[in-house]
Amino acid sequence: MRGLRRAVVAVAIGGVIAGVVRLRGGGVVPPQQGGWRELEGEDLR
Amino acid sequence: MTDATLGRIAVVGAGIVGARTVRELLSPGSGGQPTNSGVVLVSRRADRLAQLGPIFGEQVQTLQADGLGPLPSDVNVVVIAREPGAHLDVAAAAVREGRNVVSVSDDPEDAEALLALGGAARDAGVVVLAGVAMAPGLSCVIARHSAAQLDHVDEIHIARAGAAGPACARQRLKALRGTAVDWRDGAYVRRPGFSGRELFWFPDPVGAQDCFRAALADPVLLVPAFPGVQRVTARIAATRRDRALAPLPVLLPPPPEGGPGALRVEVRGRSNGAQETVVHGVFDRPGVVASALAAVAATDLILRMPPGSTGLGAVPGTVETLSELARRGVRVARFHGGAEN
Repeated sequence: MRGLRRAVVAVAIGGVIAGVVRLRGGGVVPPQQGGWRELEGEDLR
Repeated sequence: MTDATLGRIAVVGAGIVGARTVRELLSPGSGGQPTNSGVVLVSRRADRLAQLGPIFGEQVQTLQADGLGPLPSDVNVVVIAREPGAHLDVAAAAVREGRNVVSVSDDPEDAEALLALGGAARDAGVVVLAGVAMAPGLSCVIARHSAAQLDHVDEIHIARAGAAGPACARQRLKALRGTAVDWRDGAYVRRPGFSGRELFWFPDPVGAQDCFRAALADPVLLVPAFPGVQRVTARIAATRRDRALAPLPVLLPPPPEGGPGALRVEVRGRSNGAQETVVHGVFDRPGVVASALAAVAATDLILRMPPGSTGLGAVPGTVETLSELARRGVRVARFHGGAEN
């Protein structure tokens, strides 16, 4: 019985940690080249 | 950009977008002249009219009515800024009375119904502009602008993040719960919301966002404006929390003036025989974008279209439109210099 309780607690803790990790997500790599430039001047004439 | 001969403009709906649209309409045009000869603000909420009336002063006539109401005869344009799903009745009444219509609804059912008003609008000699918001709306203007840099458009992919006011936030969750309609190889394909996750890069500070299919109006409005286009898709940024909370009402409403948002428009096509991709983006509050665009549409864009009903993807003169939006503070950026994503 004690073993079963420990197993349930371990699974629950693992689930919570997995949930937090999934919700927070991992790091993503931004575009390595290029960038945003506002339309202005000649772009809008 | 200004035309005081338009007469007065009615704004139906006094939420965040409606009130901001009135403010945009009261501001002078690019030449410093008024863009209209007055504004009538229509709302069913007496308390909201009592709150906004003193702020706008004598420049704005308020009218409490559930729907279009008995508008003065010199009102030539009706901007509908009510919650999604409540646009068709007001638009149909306005067309019957011979008034032009600008609808800010981003609901695909509203967009389809407003496009179907085309025959009645032609008979009445008026213009109905559907989907005048950030997406659809500015997304359609940018798609047309990008298309001018290509010989042929093959694909258009829209992604947006954020919501304007409470009604827009409710509509966002409804869209994610709904069925997306993508255009693929000459036919509409229905897909479940929250499917097709894709990571898109929006202008800073929004940056990378997971975007999902949702019931969005962009394909419905863009396909008729781009004959021969092979694929049109629209996605919306969402999180796993949104997925978990989607069946529930909006628990955390957006800030009083609407939250921040962003838009990304990718147009793929051919230019001089080579494949080319043009990506534009916007970072701004969706409510700010929608109200600025609604004001420009009501005072200028309707003049560029023949009678009928259309989205903004069919309206020519995108440089003038983007220039006027930039003057009003809504700035569009283009991604330069590398393969994005």
